[in-house]
Amino acid sequence: MNELAAMPELVRVEAVTRQFPMDHSFVRALDEVSLRVSPGEFLAIAGPSGSGKSTLLNLIGCIDKPTSGKIIIDGVDTSRLNPSRMTALRREKIGFVFQTFNLIPVFTAAENVEFPLLVQGVSAAERRTRVAVALESVGLAARANHRPDLLSGGERQRIAVARAIVHHPALVLADEPTANLDTHNATQLIDLMHDLNRRLGLTFIFSTHDARLLEHTDRIVRLCDGQIQSDASTTPTRLEGASHGQVLAARL
Amino acid sequence: MGKFLLLAFRNIFRNRRRTLMTLVMVGGGVTGLLMVGGFFAFMFWGLRESTINGGFGHMQIFTADHFNRDEVRVLDTGIDNWRQVAATVKTGEHVRGVAPRIDFYGMVSNGDKSSVFMGSAVEPSAENSLGFTTRFASGRDLDGKPGGEVEALIGAGLAKSMNVKVGDGLTLLAMTSDGALNGVDVQIVGIVNSGVAEMDARSLRITLSAAQRLLQSDRVTNLVVGLDKTENTDQAAEELAPRLHGLPQSLVLKKWIDLATYYKQVRSLFSMIFIFLGVIVFFMVLMSSINTLLMTMFERTREIGTMLAMGTPRGWIVALFMLEATLIGVLGALGGVVAGNLLGFLLNHSGIHLPPPPGNTVPMSFKVLYEPALMIGSSLLVILSLAFASILPAIRASRLQIAEALAHV
Repeated sequence: MNELAAMPELVRVEAVTRQFPMDHSFVRALDEVSLRVSPGEFLAIAGPSGSGKSTLLNLIGCIDKPTSGKIIIDGVDTSRLNPSRMTALRREKIGFVFQTFNLIPVFTAAENVEFPLLVQGVSAAERRTRVAVALESVGLAARANHRPDLLSGGERQRIAVARAIVHHPALVLADEPTANLDTHNATQLIDLMHDLNRRLGLTFIFSTHDARLLEHTDRIVRLCDGQIQSDASTTPTRLEGASHGQVLAARL
Repeated sequence: MGKFLLLAFRNIFRNRRRTLMTLVMVGGGVTGLLMVGGFFAFMFWGLRESTINGGFGHMQIFTADHFNRDEVRVLDTGIDNWRQVAATVKTGEHVRGVAPRIDFYGMVSNGDKSSVFMGSAVEPSAENSLGFTTRFASGRDLDGKPGGEVEALIGAGLAKSMNVKVGDGLTLLAMTSDGALNGVDVQIVGIVNSGVAEMDARSLRITLSAAQRLLQSDRVTNLVVGLDKTENTDQAAEELAPRLHGLPQSLVLKKWIDLATYYKQVRSLFSMIFIFLGVIVFFMVLMSSINTLLMTMFERTREIGTMLAMGTPRGWIVALFMLEATLIGVLGALGGVVAGNLLGFLLNHSGIHLPPPPGNTVPMSFKVLYEPALMIGSSLLVILSLAFASILPAIRASRLQIAEALAHV
C-alpha cells in the first residue's frame, strides 16, 4: 500500500458512483469504484457488456459526471471544474479513440489529425509539423490527403490514434478500439498503441472485450455489474520469460 | 479560421440533394423578390417619368401665399413678375426650361349644354421645349401664335359629355381676378386622352395669353421647371432655392416628389405589398430551413459529440452551424440574383403587356428593372433568414450531452 501511495499518479477515481435514470427508478452503472492510474501505464478495462466499462471511461475522460465520488486527473479535481474548464482539460490533457473511429468525413486524414491542434489554437506551421510526425508515427504519412471513406477500417483507426496523440495528451482513452477491426488490423493497432505507450511514455486506458488486446496490457481492471472485480498488474521487469498476457491470465 | 470555414463549406455539400433543394428554395425566394421588386421599380419609374413628363416637371415655383392661404379670387396668390423669375431660373445648372402655368376653373357651354371645367393655361412652345407630352385622341396641340381664334384642348370625357369634336366652338365663362364674370369663345383643336378618366372628364387647356385675357391678369399660378435628368432634381433644387430669395415676392420651390401625391400613394401602397412579400419569403425560408438544419444536426450528432469530446468549445459548434447556414444563404442568394437577372432579361424582351391599371386606359408594359439595392436587400433577407433558422439547431447541437451524442446511432 505504501508502495502504491508513493507512485506518481495521473488518474485517481475515488468511490465513484454513476446512476442513470430509467423509467421511475435508477440503474447503477458504476458502484463505488476506486482506481489509480500511473503515468505510462497501458491499462485495460475489461468486462462483459453492461459492466460499466464505457461509463468509467466517459467519467475519466470528463465527458460525463459522476453521481457521487471524485475523479482527479493530473492533480486536478474534475468535480470542481466548470464546463469551460472541463472542456479545456479534455482539450489539453486527453486524447480519445472511439470504437467507430468518429473521423470527420469531410476532412482528409491530415485535417482530422490537425483538428485537436486547431481547437488548441496552435499555429499553422506548428500544426503542419506535428501532424506530419503523428501520421508518421502511425505509419500513414502516405495517406495524409485521403478522406476517411477512402481508407480501410484499420487505417481509419490509426488515423484516430494519430488524432488522439497529436496534441501530446497526458492520457489516451480508447473505447473498444478494436471492436470494428479484423484480427490483422486489430493486432496492428494493438502493436501501434503499445509501441506509442513504450516509446512516448503515453498513458493508455482502454475498454475492451478483445482477448488479443488483453494479452498486450500491463494491467487489467475487470469490471462486473459496476464494480471492480479484479485489478491485476505487472511491470516489464517482472515479466521476464513470460508474456504480459500469460502473467496477467495467471493473476486473474 | 480558414480550416473552420473549409469545414463549414464542405459540410454543406455532404447531402447534395438536400442542399440543392434548400438552394432552390432560397434562390427561388430571391428570384421572386427580384421579379416583383423589379416590376414595382419599373412601375415606379414609369409613373415617375410619366408624372414629370406629363406636365408636372421636375420642380415648380409658387408664391409662398399659394400654400399659406386660400385664393379669394383667381390668381390672387399668383406670381407677378414671372418673366424675371423664369429668366433667373433658366440660367441654373441642369435646367432645360421653364414653363408658366395658370390653373383656373369656370363653366363651358356649347349653347345647348353647360359643364364645369378645370382649366390650365400654358405656353405651347415652352411645354414642347420641356418635352411634356400630351396624348391626343384626335386633333393637334395648341398653336400658340398670337392672333386668330382662341384654341382649346379638352379632355375626351368632357368632349363626350358636351357632344363636341375637333373644329367645334365652345364658350368659356370664368371669374376674373377682379371678381367680374368674363367669357371667351374658343375653337376645339384637339381632344386629349390622358389615361386618367377623372381628369379627362373635366380638363380644358388654352394658351397662357388667352387665359390672361379671360382672367384679366398678368400673373401666373406657377412656373414649371424641367431638368435634363430626374436624378439631378435634388442638386438643382439646392442650387436654385437661394436664387429665389432676392426677388420682391416670397417664392417657394417645390420638388416634384413634394407635389406628386398620387405617385407617393402608389409607391407607398406597393412598397407595403413588397414588404409583406419579403416577410412571407423570410418566414418561408426560415421555417423550411429550420427543419432541414435540424435534420442535419441529428445526422451529425455523433460527430458533434466527437468534436465536443476533443475539447471544441460549444461556441464553435454554434458558429459552425450558423456559418454553414449563412454559406447556404450566400450561395442561394447568388443563384437567385443570377436567375432573377436572366428571367428579367427574358421578360423584358418578351413584349408582354398587362391590362390598363384602374383609372387608366392604356395597357402597361411588363418589364423589370435591375436594381442593385434590391439585389443586395433580397440577398441579405434570405441570408439573414437562414442565419436565424440556424440558431435553434446550432444551440441544440452545442448543448448535446457528449456521452449521449457519442452513443447516438
